[in-house]
Amino acid sequence: MSELAYYVYCIAESTAAAQLPVDSLPVAIEDASKLEWISVNALAALASQVPRATYSEENLAEHLTDASWTAIRAMRHETVVEYVAKRATVIPLRFGTIYLERAGVEQMLSDKSRELESIIEQLRGREEWGVNVHCDPAVLFSRITSVSPVLRDLVERAGQASPGQSYLMQKKIEALRVDEARAAVNRIVDQIEDKLKEQSDDTRRLRILKVETTEDGELKAKFAFLVKRAGFEEFRDAAEHLAQEHQNAGVRLELTGPWPVYNFCEGLQN
Amino acid sequence: MSDFDQMIVGEEWESTDLSLLETLDHVLNRGLVIAGEITISVADIDLIFVGLNVMVSSVETAKDVLRKHETTE
Repeated sequence: MSELAYYVYCIAESTAAAQLPVDSLPVAIEDASKLEWISVNALAALASQVPRATYSEENLAEHLTDASWTAIRAMRHETVVEYVAKRATVIPLRFGTIYLERAGVEQMLSDKSRELESIIEQLRGREEWGVNVHCDPAVLFSRITSVSPVLRDLVERAGQASPGQSYLMQKKIEALRVDEARAAVNRIVDQIEDKLKEQSDDTRRLRILKVETTEDGELKAKFAFLVKRAGFEEFRDAAEHLAQEHQNAGVRLELTGPWPVYNFCEGLQN
Repeated sequence: MSDFDQMIVGEEWESTDLSLLETLDHVLNRGLVIAGEITISVADIDLIFVGLNVMVSSVETAKDVLRKHETTE
């Protein structure tokens, strides 16, 4: 290889890095290179060499538009970080952090040591779990008169009213269905967030880039929760409970993880 | 491939393959941003991810390529 640069995957403690010899680690982002730990005092960055030409700013932008190119490398990045995250407290870096020289990585570890160490402390013994909330609109719509307290009340009153009043109430119920279905989804999503917040140390509501319609319905919300390893059973039980509670409304929960703590290490935006 | 679990929570637990998109979303959009000497800008990442998201067929192709790639190693 000609000129090289360093691609950095994640940062861990040097003591943890010493327990993870590079020969035991997954493959690096580029076939030709091996992973290496670059240590400065208490911190170690996991990196591998990449051809500088491929990862130069202009060429990288071009490669990234190729889904196959990007997907392979993103998955390798993930596989490496995941491997370390299962064995040590790790700060995952976002895809595509590249230093031209080894000294640049060392400089970064030294300059940011305090912040990095404090992030590691906050993450110790914790994992990230994703919760996706799906809703089948047809199911919700068909059951909205029992799901919505407003409509439940109207239905009950219509049942006891005179035929004329009952007719008008039925009209009103029909008119309110769409709005009430929307309100019910929001209420359920908020409740899921609140309940799972109680079982976790931190929460992020994530953006949904595209409304995905799957067999579970539409994706309505995406959350990331920072959960203590020791507290995962309680977290999962709470999720299970919420899923059962809202199943009737066409809502399904999807739990993903454990992830490296991708969503809980910001605050170092330079 | 990632061996993280994706579970549908409901009457019973199911474990399914984590979608590639879900993984790409994490790796590309999140994680600590430290300024390297070459850093992909947030705007670039957004474009890439929207692109990947739209081109689901390309992503599926990538998945196949990836599978072949990893099994030959």
